[in-house]
Amino acid sequence: MSQKSLNRKMDKLLYQEDNGLLGTSMQSRSIRKILANRLAVIGIISLTMIIFLCYAAPFFTKFGPDTIDLRNRLASPSKEHIFGTDQIGRDIFSRILFGGRISIFIGLGSALGAALIGVSLGTYAGFVRGKLDATVMKASEIMMSFPQIILVSILVTITGQSLWNLILIFILTGWPSMYRMARSQMLSIREQEYIQALKAFGIKKSIIAFKHMLPNAIGPIFVNITLSTAMFILQEASLSFLGLGVPLEISTWGNILNVAQDLTILRTAWWVWVPAGLTITIFVMAINFVGDGLRDAADPTQVG
Amino acid sequence: MINFIIRKLLALIPMALIISFLMYVGIELMPGDAIDYMIPPDALASVSAEDLNQLRAELGMNDPFLMRYVNWLGDIFKGDFGYSIQSGVPVKTLIAETLPATLELSLTALIISTILGSLLGVVSALKKGSIADNALTVFGMIGVAIPQFLFGLIMIIIFVFNLELLPVGGRMISGSEAFFLRINHLILPAITLGLSMTAGVMRYSRASMLDSLNKDYIKTARSKGLKEWRINLVHGLRVAMTPVAVLVGFRLPILIGGSVVIEQVFQWPGIGQLFVRSIRAQNTPVFMMIALFSVLIVLVASIIVDVVTAILDPRVKLS
Repeated sequence: MSQKSLNRKMDKLLYQEDNGLLGTSMQSRSIRKILANRLAVIGIISLTMIIFLCYAAPFFTKFGPDTIDLRNRLASPSKEHIFGTDQIGRDIFSRILFGGRISIFIGLGSALGAALIGVSLGTYAGFVRGKLDATVMKASEIMMSFPQIILVSILVTITGQSLWNLILIFILTGWPSMYRMARSQMLSIREQEYIQALKAFGIKKSIIAFKHMLPNAIGPIFVNITLSTAMFILQEASLSFLGLGVPLEISTWGNILNVAQDLTILRTAWWVWVPAGLTITIFVMAINFVGDGLRDAADPTQVG
Repeated sequence: MINFIIRKLLALIPMALIISFLMYVGIELMPGDAIDYMIPPDALASVSAEDLNQLRAELGMNDPFLMRYVNWLGDIFKGDFGYSIQSGVPVKTLIAETLPATLELSLTALIISTILGSLLGVVSALKKGSIADNALTVFGMIGVAIPQFLFGLIMIIIFVFNLELLPVGGRMISGSEAFFLRINHLILPAITLGLSMTAGVMRYSRASMLDSLNKDYIKTARSKGLKEWRINLVHGLRVAMTPVAVLVGFRLPILIGGSVVIEQVFQWPGIGQLFVRSIRAQNTPVFMMIALFSVLIVLVASIIVDVVTAILDPRVKLS
């Protein structure tokens, strides 16, 4: 969507606000701004649809994701199996839906976990500075000097392959960027006058940091969480492809795609990997749309 | 400038030490030790615990932890990177064998993505809102969202199976190492890796070019009556390329880390494939050395980025 039409919509919103047609709280303005962004709305709708399909999976498919049916191996799409079956006869559609639960859980869970650690450290350290900040900064530098996939793979071999280990590893490797982002926000907020005033009142440091400063940085944090979710879902897929992800028995989008390594399946049984590949791509794109939309909506400088 | 580089290099030493220490802790945490691999399992059953202990003592494995770390580090400095647990081949040899293949692939990809990405980004910034701009934006969005290996598989289907233009994988057929036969093998993986990195560069260079075109010095240049192409390409582009250079610099580590997946897709005999193989086989000395190696490259790359940024952007001062 072009900047011009966004600006035009923003003008309309401002006009309505000025005339008292709408509530004027900042939050509702952000919501209206994001609803005016067509791509973000498409993103929200596709995300809701995919998440709904995954979590209400039993209503849409009668097959279990792990039910093996050796008489129906590599069956092409039919009325019975919408997306066909894989090499041991599991229904692909059902695997995508149930696998989506795990993949989305990994992505969102890791992003939230990384945000919890990174943002709380960044908020506090960015405000008090000093030794704590220097130490955490060094730690984050060390983590970030590893190529991501190499660090994650090594941690996977050290801890062993499992769903929870993978989430913990993603959190461990994901917090530094959250920390940096939150910290840089705090560094600019801490110079503002209201912070001086709060300090003069003798209010506790942690209360200033978390209650009075953090809310002003919440926009970029949300953006970062959405984008990290997308990144972790892609990473899970890559790791599964390398055989280092969640154990193969658990359906995830990455594990479904894993079989495409077999060139015969890649060539002859497109239904095994195309739907899963499309699902990941669409899901990640939708998250990115929402993330970009959130960024614009949370940006107070973009008001018209 | 030279002062700055030296200072940065000195600052790199403690960082490298901390990281190598963490790596060593990682090696120690891995199950099993060198003895388990040196003696075949059936022979191990008949060796008494005393003999094992003596062997451990002779190899210095009963020394205190710090001592072992220092010895290990000393060996690295002497050029002894340890041995592969599976084959007994020195890690140095393994890395030396695979590194050229990886560099060949990822440098080509880096060049493709940098040139194509900044070119397309600048074009779409200059023609903002046009059909080309929108098409490129959509292309970029798909590019960031598609898993890299999936893109590789799609390329294989199109160019290998349907068009039957290119070989499916590997680096060269032994015996035919002529340049043109080899380049056949390089094209597909390099383009896949290159294109998948292009999307990011493109988004970046578009944004920074737009940003740069709105700056005051562009207005100054325009009011001086300079030609439009000169304003865009000389005044706008120079500053706009700074963040792009930073991005490319941060991608130098991709030279090793980023091709891991693509090497797997195309069976490219590079360091990434070696890494995955050693990880799967729990071949600790090999993958830890690759990791250490890649971290060093990241650290050196970050210094290069600082220097290049300073050269490109006259506003940046080295401090």
